[in-house]
Order: sequence, then structure tokens, then C-alpha cells
Amino acid sequence: MPTATATPPRTTSTPPTRRTWSGTSLPNQVLVLTGRSLRALRDPRMLVMSLLTPMIMLLLFSQVFRSIAHTPGFPTGVNYIDYLLPAILVTTATQAALTSGVGLANDLRNGVLSRFRALPIRMVSVLFARSFYDLTRSAVQLVLLLMAAALLFGYAPGGGILGSAAALALAIAVGWGLGWAFLALGAWLRTVEVMQTVGFVAIFPLMFASSAYVPIASLPGWLQAVAKVNPLTYAIDAARGLALGTPTLGPIAGALLTSAVITVIGSSLAARGIRRP
Amino acid sequence: MSEHMIEVERVGRTFRDVAALTDVDLRVPRGTVLGLLGHNGAGKTTLVNILTTVLPPSTGTARVAGYDVTRQSHLVRQQIGLTGQFATVDEQLTGAENLILIARLLGATRREARARADELLELFDLGPAAQRKASTYSGGMRRRLDLATSLVGHPSVVFLDEPTTGLDPASRIGLWEIVEGLVDDGTTILLTTQYLEEADRLADSITVLSAGKVVAAGTAGELKAQVGQRTVTVAMTSAEETALALAALRGAGLQPVPDDKHLAVTAPVATSRHLAAAVRALDDAGVDFGELSLHEPTLDDVYLALTHRDAA
Repeated sequence: MPTATATPPRTTSTPPTRRTWSGTSLPNQVLVLTGRSLRALRDPRMLVMSLLTPMIMLLLFSQVFRSIAHTPGFPTGVNYIDYLLPAILVTTATQAALTSGVGLANDLRNGVLSRFRALPIRMVSVLFARSFYDLTRSAVQLVLLLMAAALLFGYAPGGGILGSAAALALAIAVGWGLGWAFLALGAWLRTVEVMQTVGFVAIFPLMFASSAYVPIASLPGWLQAVAKVNPLTYAIDAARGLALGTPTLGPIAGALLTSAVITVIGSSLAARGIRRP
Repeated sequence: MSEHMIEVERVGRTFRDVAALTDVDLRVPRGTVLGLLGHNGAGKTTLVNILTTVLPPSTGTARVAGYDVTRQSHLVRQQIGLTGQFATVDEQLTGAENLILIARLLGATRREARARADELLELFDLGPAAQRKASTYSGGMRRRLDLATSLVGHPSVVFLDEPTTGLDPASRIGLWEIVEGLVDDGTTILLTTQYLEEADRLADSITVLSAGKVVAAGTAGELKAQVGQRTVTVAMTSAEETALALAALRGAGLQPVPDDKHLAVTAPVATSRHLAAAVRALDDAGVDFGELSLHEPTLDDVYLALTHRDAA
């Protein structure tokens, strides 16, 4: 090599920490990667931004649909805010699930993950880390939302704190399960714009063709049919039952079962998708 | 028997029906630099992706550090470092955090990871920017961080895919020096580039890819000798001297061409014997010439000749 003699002397020939690391266990990979994502939560602006949409929904719906509490089919003696908030918990968790998939698609496209493919790690650890991060973020978001509703909107349902905590847990579980469906979509589609459109088209109708904002009985006939088979209705009814202190096993079992099925199918599809170069 | 850290045998790769690589063969001995030359779409990145286990080959076999890239991909990944064409640093993390993340993923403890990060930050002149988010880095700093990241695990084989694309001349030279330092430490390097100057300076051997095929391989000197032609240029002091020089060179069996614009004469000299003959003939004829210079063919000449020949 002609230039070898021109090379300035290097101080690096025997680095003090020279040793080879040959990789680490899957749980440790997930832990390290989750820690990396959680650093994003250091920025409080992210949380404030993510609370903006649910707060606006809460404000608008609680004012616009206030009179719904006086329509036939609405449970008697229940404040609209107490009826509405459990639904907002579920829909917010649903949107957090979409964010999860969009985030993965973004990571896959901007190249951050391309280095990982040449590292001795398993790509599924990226999925688990993303999922756990979104679970944490969603939990923080929903707790803040619940507190804001209690303090600012007079949210005080019959189920008490325990009922609301149970509703919160259910919403998180449902959102986490659905998150796997969007992680699978993100792993295969890999374009943020398409993800957002698909997410909007999938989520928005499901949110409204459900028992989220008005009793199903007040919907037009065809919409009632849709709402009754809408898995989101199960989750909303379940969360609402828990919060109001009138839990029913059917919707709770239905919501958790649907969520479990989505988790299993979504995670295996996502794992296959992310391994694609 | 020399030990090859990269062995590629008849590797091909097709995307749907399009062949990106066809029957590529190459070998890189330990501690040397192979320059992979070719323009956009020649298949350089595809080959790098195959060798770094990111993409499986459609045909053929490839071994890196002795391990098969398809069947022993996990073992290959323990041995390699990759700096892709586009910087893949995490912009949300600081420079130090980027390096620590990779070290931790490789299995380093927190303390080891921090020590390795500090070492690399210093080596790459990123110390002062260590605690800043990578999103605030300049293009050159990002490139350096990217390269540092690929070296975290002390890889024995490093792949650099167009490492200096978009860098200013000072940063480019800085990166070259780092690459030379790695080679001194015994690291084997495969470098893809569009810059012939870069391949000329860094590479022990060069493989030229065009349309997914190897069109030439050898040292820079061999490639130049293969297609290029050495020429001698004699600067003249007057038109009369030019005529005299032309006659003298013709007499020596050369084919001189007058360059009236620059008041000079140029002639191809295939061997050093021709060169000696040219000087002797000019001296014998008593030609008063200003300056005599020898022009070696550059890799640009080689590259253009090879790729054009292939396209034709």
C-alpha cells in the first residue's frame, strides 16, 4: 500500500478495553432498547402533545353531547362525563396503538434500525422494546388524563377509584394488544403516511360506530348492527361497567379475548415483517 | 496459505426478475483493504448487504471471517462493523448514548460501554460534542459518529459503503487516516466508493463492478497498466523547436502529437524503454525543451475505459 508510510502514528493500536463482546440475551436486548426509547419521555413536550387530543375530545364531547344524558336508553342517574371518560380512555389507548405502528414504520424508514440488522441481536427485540415503550407511554398518558378529568371535569363515577383503576388497566391491555396489529402493519408497510391513513380509516369509524359517545340504542339500525360486532364496543362497555361500578363479565371477557387474539396474530406477523431486509 | 477474511464465490442476487449481481467472485486477505468501485446501481450496496447478512444471496456462497453469511449469520455479525451509505445514528440520542447503546446491545456492561464510548469519541474528535444530541451534528460529525458506532465491538472486518460521500475535503482526509489506522491494527476493510482517488489511496486491491458484474480486478497499478497508456509531454520554447522535436521523436519510432495551444509535444510511451528513447532522441537532436513530464493514467481513465467497454 503506497500510503502506509505516510500514515501518522496512531495511538489506537492496543485500546485498553480491547475485548470482544459477542452479544447478549434477548431479555437484555429488549431492556437496553426499551431504555433507549424511554429516553424520549424525558421531553415533557411529548406527553403534553399526546394529552392534547384526548383533552380536546373530552372538552368537546362533554359539552356538545351533554343532553344525551336525557335521551331514552341512557343509564339513569349517570353523569355524561362519567359515561364518556371510560370510552375516551379506550379510544386514546387505541390511538396510542396506532402511534406505536407509525413509530416503528418511521424507525424502519429513517435507517436507525438498519444498523441493527448487522448486529448480533434478534430483530424481535426491537418489536418488544417498541411495544413496552408504548405500553409505558400509554399508561402515563391515561393516568394523567384520568386525573385531569377528575380535577377539571368533575369525573366521579360510581365505581370509585378502584373501578376507574380497573377501567384504566383494561384500556391499557386493549391498547397494547391492538398495538401489535399496528406494529405488524408498520413492519410490513414501512411508510408513515400510509400507516396514518390506514390507521385513520380503521380507527375512526370503529370509534364512532360503537357505544363510545352515545348508547347503541340511539344509533340508526344499520349502525347498531356494526356497533354490536365492533370489538371496540366490548372494550368500551367493559371499561364503562368497571368505572361505573356495574361490571359485566361478557364485555370484559370479550375485550380481553379479542385483545389476546390480536396480540398473538399481530406479534407473529410483526416478527416476520421486521426480519425482511 | 494466506487467510482470506472475505471470500465471495459466484454470488448473484436478483430482485424480482432484475439481476443486481451476477457471479461475483472476490477475496480479501486479512488486514488489507479492498476497494469496490462502481457508479450508482452497479451493485456495490447489494454486495455489502449480502456480506453483512442483511440480504441473503440468490446464488453462490459468501464467507466473512470464515463464517457463511447465510447459515452462520449470527457468527458473522459478531465479527463485522457496518457503516452504511446513509448515516444511521439515532438523532434523539447524544453521541455518547449512541455508542453506549450499541456496546450494551453487544453485551458490554454499563461501565465497559461507557469506557469504549469515551475511547471512540476521543479518537473521532467528538469529545466536545459527546453530550449533544446527534440531531445537532454536522454532516461530517454524523459520518464520524456513524463510523465510530460501527467500530464499537472491535470488528475484525469493517464494511464502509461510500463513507466519504458528501464530506468536505478536510473531513474526507480525516476519515482516510482513521481507515489507515484500522488497517494498521489488522482490520480487514471492504470499502465501496465512487471516488477513484479514494480507492487509489486506501485500497490494496480494487474490484470494479459494472451492472452487477466484476469487470476488472487487481491493484491500482495493474488496472492502470491494463487499459491506460503512459504519455510523455515535452514543453517547447518555440515553434521551430517543436518541429525539430517532432522529427526527432518520429525518428526514435514514437508517434508524437503536437499540442500547438500549449506549445508542447506529447507522445505515448508504452514502456520505460520508449521513454529513454524519447529523451535520447531529443538530446541527440539538440532540442532545447522547457520541461518534460510523464503522465500516468489515472483510475478515472481506467474506470471510464472499463465501464464504457462494458456498456458498448
